[in-house]
Amino acid sequence: MGSFLYSVASFSIVILFYSSQPVYAYIDPGTGSIIIQSVIGGIAAATTFGAIYWSKLKTIFTRKNKETDKTGGDSGDK
Amino acid sequence: MSAPSTIDGSFRDPSGRVYIYKGRIFRTVTEFGANAFEKILKTGLLATLIEDGQLLPYSIVRDPDILSQFHNAKYVLEHPKIDYISFPYEWSFPLLKKAALLHLDVAIKGLNAGVSLSDATAYNIQFVGPKPIFIDHLSFKPYTDREYWLGHRQFCEQFLNPLLLRAKLGVAHNAWYRGALEGISNEDLSSLLRLRHKMSLKVQAHVVLPARLQKKVSSTNSAETKPMAERKGLPKSSYKGLLTQLRNWIAKLEPKGGNQSVWGGYAEQNTYEEKENFEKTIFIQKFVNGVQPNLVYDLGCNSGAFSEIALAAGAKQVIGFDFDQIALEKALHRAESKSLNLLPIYLDASNQSPDQGWQQLERAGFDGRGKPDAILALAFEHHLAIGKNIPLPQVIKWITSIAANGIIEFVAKSDPTIISMLSMRDDIFQNYSQESFEKAILQHATIIESKKVTKDGRVLYWYKRHK
Repeated sequence: MGSFLYSVASFSIVILFYSSQPVYAYIDPGTGSIIIQSVIGGIAAATTFGAIYWSKLKTIFTRKNKETDKTGGDSGDK
Repeated sequence: MSAPSTIDGSFRDPSGRVYIYKGRIFRTVTEFGANAFEKILKTGLLATLIEDGQLLPYSIVRDPDILSQFHNAKYVLEHPKIDYISFPYEWSFPLLKKAALLHLDVAIKGLNAGVSLSDATAYNIQFVGPKPIFIDHLSFKPYTDREYWLGHRQFCEQFLNPLLLRAKLGVAHNAWYRGALEGISNEDLSSLLRLRHKMSLKVQAHVVLPARLQKKVSSTNSAETKPMAERKGLPKSSYKGLLTQLRNWIAKLEPKGGNQSVWGGYAEQNTYEEKENFEKTIFIQKFVNGVQPNLVYDLGCNSGAFSEIALAAGAKQVIGFDFDQIALEKALHRAESKSLNLLPIYLDASNQSPDQGWQQLERAGFDGRGKPDAILALAFEHHLAIGKNIPLPQVIKWITSIAANGIIEFVAKSDPTIISMLSMRDDIFQNYSQESFEKAILQHATIIESKKVTKDGRVLYWYKRHK
């Protein structure tokens, strides 16, 4: 049910923007991009830092596993 | 003594221009650009990027003879010359992707060092072999607190959108990019993307919403639009977040349908027999040993197998040309995995890149660019002579005009490839024969050696052009 609601919600958002018409007028080339940056920049930063913490968390665990592997495999290599 | 001539394409930036003088490449830094340049030098960023192979090296010129040629320059830099300049509309998908990632890597490193990039044009990146390198030393400026990413829109139009065109819709960017030169606008791509593509937050954030907002702004009175100075600005963490998000996204983009599997199960083109390959190899080796070329063009390079042979035989650098995207991607894979100085790029030989841009001087066309010492045109001429109805003498004239030495392979009508090309159409090529081929070569060149390599009548010709 949750995913259905999510689909409906994102669909409505998309419909909202779907009506975009071609723009041929030349204005300040970056205005659209400048406005959107404030909106998406924060989200991008949050997800990036979230990802960094997530990968740090992962490396803590994988490092532990690797260390156990290494001590087990070292004698065999030499 | 001749004066330095400007390289057309470098005129947009008031901070400086690029010149060629006595075969050497110089960049001036004007009074306008000097302040920023001095500050950037102090950050050590340029040195780090050069050390990491991401920025074209430079030296600051002290020689008074050279400085006297550039009166208005505050600084004059000298760069090593890049043997072949290529443009984004000639790059395959993976090349454009590499260039995009390099731009973002440079921008992220810059931000960490307190430096931002003033633009995001794909023309600031060139390739040396399969490796991208950033070439504009005046794109860097000191980062000011809460500044926006001014190049965001340009980045999307020149890198992201052409990549999305192929990744989401399966259409290669080359023809459109060549026509538009500044890339694919958010508005245009937005109109093409389907509903399912627009479900993606990233597509919304970087393509659809900016296009939508741009439209909104264009329909309002410009006096109502807040000028940059009055805007709140962007925290540095958000700026970096945008760059990193795009980097992670683009790193995962692949052509729609995927080409990875093609490399895995790839065997050489089945029209080539083992023995034929062997004989061609010997012939190419002999040719390269005789000519000792620095720069070689491989027309119709396919997967780059013969480029590799030319390089192994002593050629310094090969630019491979093909119109088949899959072939280009295979050749790039070969160049990267075997560390070859081979750059495979897109060329429709019947419609080469023209001189274009501002006053048709900004981006040089195919003919006015490289000066190859030798050319390989193997299994190539029939694509023009039969495939595109271009008279054989014209094809030969064009090939021999590109380089003074070369190998051209003649493909006879009895060859399975031509039989298949003619299977659906009338044979209107009454004058297409080995005899007319030889006659055409002899009009422009001497035949040093020839060798029949298949029973179906493929013959290699080593030519040396008259003057």
